[in-house]
Amino acid sequence: MVLDVTARNIDEKDAGKQILFSDQKVWWEIGKDLEGRMRYGAWQIKEIVDLTLQPMETRKERFLMNFDTDIETVEVEVNLSYYINGKKGDVIYSEKKILEYDFD
Amino acid sequence: MKIIRFFIFTQVFVVVLLFGAASLFAAEKQADSIDELVAMFDDGKCVECHEETHAQWKNSWHAKAVISSLKGMHNFIVIGLEKEWETPLTKAQIMKCLDCHAPTVKYASEKLAVEIGNMIVTAHKKKGTKEGDAAKKELARLNVGCLSCHNIKAGAVARGLHGEPKPGMVYGPTGEEGDGAHESTELVDITRASFCMQCHGKYKAADGETIQCNTLSGSYQNTYVAKGGSKTCQDCHMKNGHTFPGGHDLDTVKEGLGLQVEIVSYGHLPGTLKKKIKEEKKWIPSAVVNVFVENKTGHRVPDG
Repeated sequence: MVLDVTARNIDEKDAGKQILFSDQKVWWEIGKDLEGRMRYGAWQIKEIVDLTLQPMETRKERFLMNFDTDIETVEVEVNLSYYINGKKGDVIYSEKKILEYDFD
Repeated sequence: MKIIRFFIFTQVFVVVLLFGAASLFAAEKQADSIDELVAMFDDGKCVECHEETHAQWKNSWHAKAVISSLKGMHNFIVIGLEKEWETPLTKAQIMKCLDCHAPTVKYASEKLAVEIGNMIVTAHKKKGTKEGDAAKKELARLNVGCLSCHNIKAGAVARGLHGEPKPGMVYGPTGEEGDGAHESTELVDITRASFCMQCHGKYKAADGETIQCNTLSGSYQNTYVAKGGSKTCQDCHMKNGHTFPGGHDLDTVKEGLGLQVEIVSYGHLPGTLKKKIKEEKKWIPSAVVNVFVENKTGHRVPDG
């Protein structure tokens, strides 16, 4: 499960320069063998490092972002994705908000 | 008089012996072909009365429990058994996968079980070829079918109490006979989380080997139940019948997770940031994003 937080300068025409901030939080499990090596095979995994979100748990994640002084409009996007395997992920929840700055 | 008594005794003894042998034969009957194995646990008969339930199951991952996991089982045989353990493919070894992915294979002969193992290798290794597709088609007949749960595994968590499953018996939560198409026995076990945990958790093979496809039951038992949770697997994953939706179903995933987002903009005090900005004396456009991610399920996420 992956939480992506991205802030974009939507006044910027060049898509390559739009991203002002991005961060990611990942919940997953690491399977390891008895030597402590990361493994994928079900027969090889004897223990795990549990980095998952536990039942009945709410995790609070805080992201602080500072933009440059000439930035006027920022789009903040938050996506929560679920990966059924390492390759296939789907966005479960998505939220966007436009922030306007005018301190003059 | 003694002769008559002896005669009656021997007659009774012979009858008991014959019945005993017959039931023993039924319990230990081993299939030599997939046709024979499928016939022994013929789910096709179930659809005649349980059309809706069968249609639900047909769309479930239980219905494709072998062919959806070919890669993992192939790797177990080719990497695990052959390379790492240097151990031949036997029924006991392949049952470490198939006891859950196709429980009927318990009633396959040694020869058939090994054949099925080799078919798994062919289906994965030769995927897209005539030979590979033929193997996959044949393997698609093996799955977690009606009688996998309603007979073979039904009483397995309390085997000492229930004994071996009776051939042909359908174990279910009500024990209703229906129109007499089969014998039924009420078995509450099938409604409990421990029933699902047989496979949806750390699996312990007959020789003691642990196989960890997933550990849902670990977090269910040690975290959810420990925190006071009391729902069973069936409460959530069977509320819409026998489709058993889980991680593959986005609606189910969405139902199990909560997301709350709070985005606040503000002007950061000029001259207080270490990073270089264009105009040091201007207020710095800034934002704080607070995200609350909630796991509403009875197990850790992700898993399964």
